Amino acid sequence: MNEKKIYEDLSPLQNKAQITRIVVQLVFLVILFSFWKIQILDHKKYWKQSEANRIREMTLPPQRGLIKDRNGEILATNIASFKVSIIRENCRDFEKSCQKVSALLELEPEVLKERIDRFKDLPLFQPVVVKDNLSVEEVSKIKARTIEFPELIIQSEPKRYYPYKSLAAHAIGYLQEISPEEMRSLYKKKEQGDLVGKTGIEREYEKKLVGEKGRILEVVDSVGRKREEISRIDPTPGEDISLTLDFQLQKKAEELLEGKEGAVVALKPDNGEILALASFPTFDPNKFINRFTPDEWMDLIQSPEFPLENRAIRGLYAPGSIFKLTLALGALESKIVNEWKTFYCSGSIRLYGHPRSCWFRGGHGSMNLYDGIKNSCNIYFYQIGKTMGISQIAHYARMLGFGEKTGVDLPGEKIGLVPDPDWKKRVRNEPWYPGETISVSIGQGPITVTPLQVAVYTACIANRGKRVSPYLYKKKSLFREETDPVAIQKDTFEKVIRGMWKSVNDGGTGRGSRVEEFNVCGKTGSTQVVSSTTAEKLGSESKIIKTHSWFTGFAPKDNPQIVITVLVEYGGMGGTTAAPIARKLFNLFRENHDR
Amino acid sequence: MIDRNQLRNIDWILIGLLILNSSIGLAFIHSSSHHLYGNYALKQFLWFVISLAALFLFLSVSYRSLVTYSFYFYVVMISILAGILLFGTLISGAKSWIVLPFFWIQPSEIARIIVILAVANIFSNYKREFLTVGQGLLSSLVVFVPVVLIALQPDLGTALTYIPILLAAFLLAGLRRKTLIIFVILGLLIGIVGWSVFLKDYQKERITTLVSPEKDPLGAGYHTIQSKIAIGSGGFFGKGYKKGTQSQLRFLPARHTDFILSVIGEEFGFMGVMTVFLCYFLFLSRLFQSVTKSRDRAGVYIIFMVTLTIAFQFCVNVFMTIGLFPIAGVPLPLVSYGGSSLLTNYLAVSLVLNIKMRRFVNV
Repeated sequence: MNEKKIYEDLSPLQNKAQITRIVVQLVFLVILFSFWKIQILDHKKYWKQSEANRIREMTLPPQRGLIKDRNGEILATNIASFKVSIIRENCRDFEKSCQKVSALLELEPEVLKERIDRFKDLPLFQPVVVKDNLSVEEVSKIKARTIEFPELIIQSEPKRYYPYKSLAAHAIGYLQEISPEEMRSLYKKKEQGDLVGKTGIEREYEKKLVGEKGRILEVVDSVGRKREEISRIDPTPGEDISLTLDFQLQKKAEELLEGKEGAVVALKPDNGEILALASFPTFDPNKFINRFTPDEWMDLIQSPEFPLENRAIRGLYAPGSIFKLTLALGALESKIVNEWKTFYCSGSIRLYGHPRSCWFRGGHGSMNLYDGIKNSCNIYFYQIGKTMGISQIAHYARMLGFGEKTGVDLPGEKIGLVPDPDWKKRVRNEPWYPGETISVSIGQGPITVTPLQVAVYTACIANRGKRVSPYLYKKKSLFREETDPVAIQKDTFEKVIRGMWKSVNDGGTGRGSRVEEFNVCGKTGSTQVVSSTTAEKLGSESKIIKTHSWFTGFAPKDNPQIVITVLVEYGGMGGTTAAPIARKLFNLFRENHDR
Repeated sequence: MIDRNQLRNIDWILIGLLILNSSIGLAFIHSSSHHLYGNYALKQFLWFVISLAALFLFLSVSYRSLVTYSFYFYVVMISILAGILLFGTLISGAKSWIVLPFFWIQPSEIARIIVILAVANIFSNYKREFLTVGQGLLSSLVVFVPVVLIALQPDLGTALTYIPILLAAFLLAGLRRKTLIIFVILGLLIGIVGWSVFLKDYQKERITTLVSPEKDPLGAGYHTIQSKIAIGSGGFFGKGYKKGTQSQLRFLPARHTDFILSVIGEEFGFMGVMTVFLCYFLFLSRLFQSVTKSRDRAGVYIIFMVTLTIAFQFCVNVFMTIGLFPIAGVPLPLVSYGGSSLLTNYLAVSLVLNIKMRRFVNV
């Protein structure tokens, strides 16, 4: 169909290409002879080298940094321990080897296999830990049978040890084997089988504490015996960390919470150093370090008391009457009332068509602000709250640190909730009812706070307006930022503090926390967990009809040195349960201070 | 764009040899990487599927139009290479990658095709008997602009794979003694400048240890020694699939990429290596033979440049594993792990097929 084109003669070009082809063929011959030499003639030499000259790389675990209290008391240290690992590469027959090893180590064969299976992505020459915390007997038993078990090696490693067991366990945290997710996202340099901090300081300062692994390259023979060391990089120990915790105070706080569920926070108001951070029930972090006690671990996470939860930063509670201080500050500052304005408490009042009662059914009579705080009169604060309105209340609550993180250097802190009409619209798609303002006025309703937030709030009052962010790592003070004081007059604080002083020292609800010559100022709270009608249905037997018991306060009045916040779940009245705990802690602090 | 006549002229034997060699690669990528994170064998298989599809798609455009428009491609390519130097992210020490949501692409590999087309364009109407200095300098410029950009990434191994393009062009054009001398001197000068400017210390070390790897057994000579032990200990029949003690261990750092031949040598021995070489030999022979099938000058140049580029990479990689060439990061084409390299080689072979199947068509 088409006329053929007369092609250009390209044969000279193509001939040149064919010459190159011959060159390439000659190169192929060279390659062939090179491989003949290496693989056939020199095979024996290389075979021997490959059998005898295996180089094994081992990691040397670093010493984890110590954790100490503010006075140098060691709260977390390291002790020597031995672990046995399996090198899969050295198993002649993997199945058989598994059986023999499980018999030797007294492990269930399935457990052992499952364990090794988790590390199947690791190169075969890398040891997989199959048992740790070996006893001396176990070590000698395995050592004596090295020839029989070329696949096993014993390595020593420093093991985390918490000498005071559960003391400050929530603040310090615990270690566990790294999870695959953590390896992908958080710690890219770590290897499977490494232990990492999972909560608390151990987690927050993992990178400081962990140190740097050492590496050792050694020549081993075909049964895994070490022949010589080629190179060695020693591990670098982790950095020690001093905490702001006071061992004595922490210990006392935990003793006082024994048998209850609750939290205690003590901090220095001037800079935010946390002196004690206790949460109860608690746990022994030593138990987690063993790689193989899943049962105990399951027990702990499934316990209905949630011993692993750090209630001080993660427990969310209605603040109850301790929130009345917010209203007092807000109302005085916005000139809604002055301190001498009185309201009459007859024990109950009708607001928006619902009867509301004071906790003191007999009624407090006519009261000004000081007495309102001292007696924690609900009626007084209902009226203030009604006048202020929810937006004002929420404004002052946020100003004083509720509804946001305190910024403590611990992972997992909760925010809590300061409710307002916007929130209700967004979350529940309902309008705000005026009756809810009345509940929030006495710290009930949807408002929730953590004990640490309450401590920070108290510190702000003690400082007459300077907010602090709490911390545990002592060196953090070096790079702390000063924040602006809150927009409330010093004078306003003085008035509210006077009410708090009267609450403790003038026969108010906080009198249970009174310490001779220490001028404690405080406020109690008792928060209803269920409504009174539900409570009647449940009957007096049930534990949950009791209220949560709060106390928060500071001392001394004019030169505050310590803030203490106590929360006891289902502890009853704040004055009877929480306040006495605070008194004992104030007492201890004062004694130690005087010495 | 393709008529039935052309389809009949597709060189199925060449495609078969291409797939054969990639399959060998897939098997050994699996053996050498099954215990590593990241499913390399599967990834490579996906790249294989993509590359094969790309190969057929690429056939629909006549190579003549590709050669004609090669200048535009060239400009775009240079901007991309310069772009990643300026804005690229550093991945394991080099800015060589374009990171896309599901995969990474190494433009420095793909660019080779464009350079081949551009050089073919320059020579498509070059009918003198010998290469003139001007023509030589022009083609050197076309090759060296991307080479310098790639060397700056720094990826010397890939930069090196552009040299055979120039070599092929010069060989075909024919070198007179005078021209040869000028280019040897120029080459030496560039070599000296390159040694002092571009080469990092570790690369210099690799070249110097080539002379005596045993001097520094754990340093630069380490991989060469380990590779030789792996190959040598394989013997005649090898240690068996996935049984290589050297290659299953950690001795070879790039065992699924640059050192895949050591794995083959250890696990399948001399027999295995020879089988792989035979397959490769047939593949290269087919390519060389294809040179005679082109009816125009550009076609001859393209096929020869493609052939020499692949042959060159093959030889460099093989010599590297037995310590006759410094460790330069040049993969074994089709066999080593690496999507961009695989795709590029498929596209290169696609050009050859393109020329062969259009050989009876009038221009």
